[in-house]
Amino acid sequence: MSASAMRSKLPFLGAAVRHNRVPSPYPWLMPVILVMGLFYLYPVIDVFRYAFTDLTLLGGEGRYTLSTFANVLTRPELPQILWVTFVFTAGSVIGQQLIGLAMALVVVRSEKRNLFGTTILRTTALIAWVVPGIAGGIIWKMLFNEAPFGGLNSLLRLMGMAPVQWLSDPDVVMWSVVLSNVWRGTAFSMVVMYAALKAIDPSLYEAAEVDGASGRQKLFFVTLPQLRPAILVNMILITIQTLNTFDAIISLTGGGPGRATEVLSLYTFNVVFRNYDLAAGSVLSILMLVISLGLALVYAAFLPKDEKA
Amino acid sequence: MKLSTRDRLGDILSYAFMAVMFVFFSWPLIWLLSMALRTRKEVFLGVSRLIPKFPTLDNFTMVLTSSQFPVYLLNALKLSCLSAVGCLIIAAPAAYAFSRFEFKSKGAWMLGILAFQMISPLVIMVPLYRYMARLGLIDSHFGTIMVYIALGVPMVTWLLKGYMDGIPKSLDEAALIDGCNRLSVFIRIILPLSTPGVASAFIITVIAGWSQFLVPFLLITKDSLVPIGVGIFQYAGTQNASTIQVLAAACLISVVPAIIAFLALQRLILSAMTAGAVKG
Repeated sequence: MSASAMRSKLPFLGAAVRHNRVPSPYPWLMPVILVMGLFYLYPVIDVFRYAFTDLTLLGGEGRYTLSTFANVLTRPELPQILWVTFVFTAGSVIGQQLIGLAMALVVVRSEKRNLFGTTILRTTALIAWVVPGIAGGIIWKMLFNEAPFGGLNSLLRLMGMAPVQWLSDPDVVMWSVVLSNVWRGTAFSMVVMYAALKAIDPSLYEAAEVDGASGRQKLFFVTLPQLRPAILVNMILITIQTLNTFDAIISLTGGGPGRATEVLSLYTFNVVFRNYDLAAGSVLSILMLVISLGLALVYAAFLPKDEKA
Repeated sequence: MKLSTRDRLGDILSYAFMAVMFVFFSWPLIWLLSMALRTRKEVFLGVSRLIPKFPTLDNFTMVLTSSQFPVYLLNALKLSCLSAVGCLIIAAPAAYAFSRFEFKSKGAWMLGILAFQMISPLVIMVPLYRYMARLGLIDSHFGTIMVYIALGVPMVTWLLKGYMDGIPKSLDEAALIDGCNRLSVFIRIILPLSTPGVASAFIITVIAGWSQFLVPFLLITKDSLVPIGVGIFQYAGTQNASTIQVLAAACLISVVPAIIAFLALQRLILSAMTAGAVKG
């Protein structure tokens, strides 16, 4: 626009300006394209190829076959694995989203009223978020320990309550794992919700106040509708994050007792690297990809039109 | 300002909620610290010795003077720092191009790069393990670093692009008119001005590298090459109830560097993080 106007006025500069104006981006993108191609695209294509073979990690070239697909998808343990994955993901995502939102609301309100302790709370939650997954699993294993040095049972005993079999009772263990995951993941949701709350136009609240809205009405008719896109984006991010969680579970329960906490990613890992069944693991990998993609599309469908871009 | 009873009630509820959340988030870490400072006898006294009567640093000394742990820590430092540098070298030019150039299907390229982040590292590790084994890159820090870089590149590209968007384009234009070419504009003007963005991207990538488990667990088998994430996992597997205080100390030592790195640059990291998430 302005550049082209300038160019027509100064024709002798045209060639030089045009040369700089439309540089090819591809030399700049080349390193990223190479790395992503070699380490993501090519392996993902190969996963699809492996899924139609009977390859193992023990060597050999394998043959092309369709039976791996049929074999894996009809395994008797698969429904149980998928159910465990669903409970773990839904529990973690709902817990992190709700607690993260509640914390952000309280922190914003407290900051407005100059209450003490908001920074301490935020920093503490974020420290939990920085703890590596493996270490998080080890820490929670100490807390859940049923020996006298278990950090939760000795607290319960102090308050005169009965100890809980956090990790050995198959009906309880899933909630223990969800609890530890909520501990580690909530800070992210809190930070996203906090930023989104800060971005709401204050004049909306002024208008609501003029109209005589109560605090609850402001929450339900101003705040939450305004937060909708941020909540959906956050849910996409934490859902995928949770589906891929692997290290925090392997060091906390290892998938046990029995198969009570063996989520899909852990199961895939075990199939490939403990049973050396590369082809079956590839089918499970495709299943993981399809589930994350499907969920992302479902959430995206709820986004307002102009946010889709 | 007058305080209505309603506001005061709200304050009390806010305090109560914040206190409960604070206990929830801090208790595991307080417990870890408490265990790490105890002697073997006090470990079995549970919560009544939250503040140990005979605190000791022996557990830390034991971990830090052992033959393996210092090696694990150094390996983790090497892997995470080198991969963060590699990430920046690869992502920065792309971030500049995304921030400054207009080209066909730019949005699609950017979304494509982001979409890779949806893929679980486990999925790509299935074939990568096979390639690495064939190339003889098992037990090589080089191979592991390359995978770390690939895992970090999408986010670093987006972070840096977001930061560079905040630098006025008129600076580029002025330099171009003065006869700089694009490359020297990028290296001499945009990169120095992006230092805060580069620093936060670096720290985020270092923390992510420090937390890596799956990739080194699969690609590194030699004990002398293993980083702390894998080292502590294997160490935990060999411990029993009588050495839980040593495990706690080891765990604390593995966590603290990441926490310090984060706290040092908390403000930068948070603004980088939320800029991405809120813009969508």
